[in-house]
Amino acid sequence: MTEFYRSYLAVAVLILAAIGMVGFMLGLGRLIRPVRAQEQKYIPYEAGSDPTGTFGQSNVRYYVFALLFVIFDVEAVFIFPWAVNLESLGWFGLVEMTIFVVVLTLGLVYAWRKGVLRWA
Amino acid sequence: MGTPYFDYHALAPVIVLAAVALLALVVDFVWKDGGRRAVPQIAGIGMLLALIPVFTLAADGETRVMFGGAFVVDNYALAFAGFFLIVGYVAVLLSYDYIDEGDYYRGEYYVLLLTSVLGMVVLASARDLITIFVAIETVTLPTFVLAGWRKHDIRSNEAAIKYFIIGVLSSAVMLYGMSLIFGLSNSTLLSEIGSVAGGDNPALFAVAIFLTLAGFAFKVSAVPFHFWAPDTYQGAPLPVTAFLSVASKAAGFVAMLSVVALGFFASPNSWQPVIWVLAAASIVVGNLAALRQTDVVRMLAYSSVAQGGFILVPLAVSGDNDAARAGFQGVLVYILIYAAMNMGAFACVIANARRTRSTEIQSFSGLGRSNPAMAVVFTVFLFSLAGIPPFAGWFAKFVMFRAVLDAGTTAAVVLGVLAAVFSVVAFFYYGTVIRRMWFHAAVDLGDTGSPRVPGALVAAMAITTTVVVVIGVYPQLFAKIGDLAFRAT
Repeated sequence: MTEFYRSYLAVAVLILAAIGMVGFMLGLGRLIRPVRAQEQKYIPYEAGSDPTGTFGQSNVRYYVFALLFVIFDVEAVFIFPWAVNLESLGWFGLVEMTIFVVVLTLGLVYAWRKGVLRWA
Repeated sequence: MGTPYFDYHALAPVIVLAAVALLALVVDFVWKDGGRRAVPQIAGIGMLLALIPVFTLAADGETRVMFGGAFVVDNYALAFAGFFLIVGYVAVLLSYDYIDEGDYYRGEYYVLLLTSVLGMVVLASARDLITIFVAIETVTLPTFVLAGWRKHDIRSNEAAIKYFIIGVLSSAVMLYGMSLIFGLSNSTLLSEIGSVAGGDNPALFAVAIFLTLAGFAFKVSAVPFHFWAPDTYQGAPLPVTAFLSVASKAAGFVAMLSVVALGFFASPNSWQPVIWVLAAASIVVGNLAALRQTDVVRMLAYSSVAQGGFILVPLAVSGDNDAARAGFQGVLVYILIYAAMNMGAFACVIANARRTRSTEIQSFSGLGRSNPAMAVVFTVFLFSLAGIPPFAGWFAKFVMFRAVLDAGTTAAVVLGVLAAVFSVVAFFYYGTVIRRMWFHAAVDLGDTGSPRVPGALVAAMAITTTVVVVIGVYPQLFAKIGDLAFRAT
């Protein structure tokens, strides 16, 4: 049972340390920062001008492009090591990589058919 | 570096599922109008097709090891792979009319469902921390999208956001734990972690196990990591809720079971207390919170938290004495039975929601008179969830208590008593619904839908009722599966 307590003491210490760390950092910030209450500090920052009260939707089209980019970025991560070892992997590697690329291409075709690539 | 060893027979279920998911995607965007009808059929047939190699592999009985021990196809993996495929098929049946009638994307729904099931089948075979992590992410990522499927409904958005944030947080905690385990054992293979676990470990090992299990606890919505479950279950489309509360939850348990049974097992002092606390808290909080619900989906959400606690009981006691086998088998058998009864209960809730456009418990009033067949079926599932013989639920509780008795330690007995007491408490909230159905007059809910129960839902109810009744009367069938699954270990 002693070993049991010893190992769970570590868990307790970790939890306390995590709480203490957050408390310490927030507390330290509170202690050393100057507090000058001003009305303007409590309104959202919007590029220097005061917010108008209405909210408009921002354009999320960039987001979908970024998502597509990430997919092909990751594809490259897999293709580079494969290209280096292409000779030893031989035909087997070629077939496997073709399947991988085809699967990703299907995703691109899907995005295209859904009109994701059209900027309008 | 030559060609890696591939056993296509062992990989067949995974390959079939992946191919079917891609086919469904292509059919959907190439053949737009026809795809509406074809994609659900493809998804359903695909799940059953993938079952064929599972059966041939089981008949073969050989343990196949691939990728340096990271992917193993043995009885344990096959039992769960087959289970996930059947649950996936029932989920397709539940979704069929619901998705067809709603204003939703139809094709993508089934593609995501297939992808999630693909992750589960891989998870069943995963014997390596990285493979387990990738598989569990393949399971959960599609379900984030599925939970927010009704994108014009703010409840569904809330469900998806909550589920997503908690899911990502839990993955981060789990990865932190896994990275510590890798640092201490110098391997991600469960078998090698297992050999390190038996030795004299630094206290940090307990911390690593604690964090890893906490990550899994989020996935299985064990108390105190359950806050997302009721809101997500209520906001998500009902078939998705059924899928989340059964398949995705079971996936979390399978990951937990693999990691504990094959990895951490030799160091029970590190993992047993965590699971003990999770099990006890889930049973107490889940059952007490379920008592106060007026919405049947929220009630089933808390009931699934409580049932999750019951599933953890055999695991929590499996490190004591010689309870390992009974404990692991208990978890497996409980998961199989829980899946059948909970899927069935959700099939009834979906059918009732079609009829009354409501998921309030009072919408079940008078069901015994207006649709006695469905009322009988729902009563069977609720009795089974409460653990009353002769329905399968009693056997699940029985294997749980057998594991407790095999362990026989004080901690195990305390947990067993807790489970017994709260099994009785559980009967109150299941009983409320049953009483509503049989002894209350119908409440006028205004806008009502179609009273007809569509064929796919009837099929889902038929499958789950058959399992619940047959296993209730002849439990040896599932006991045999549990026995075979842990024969090697």
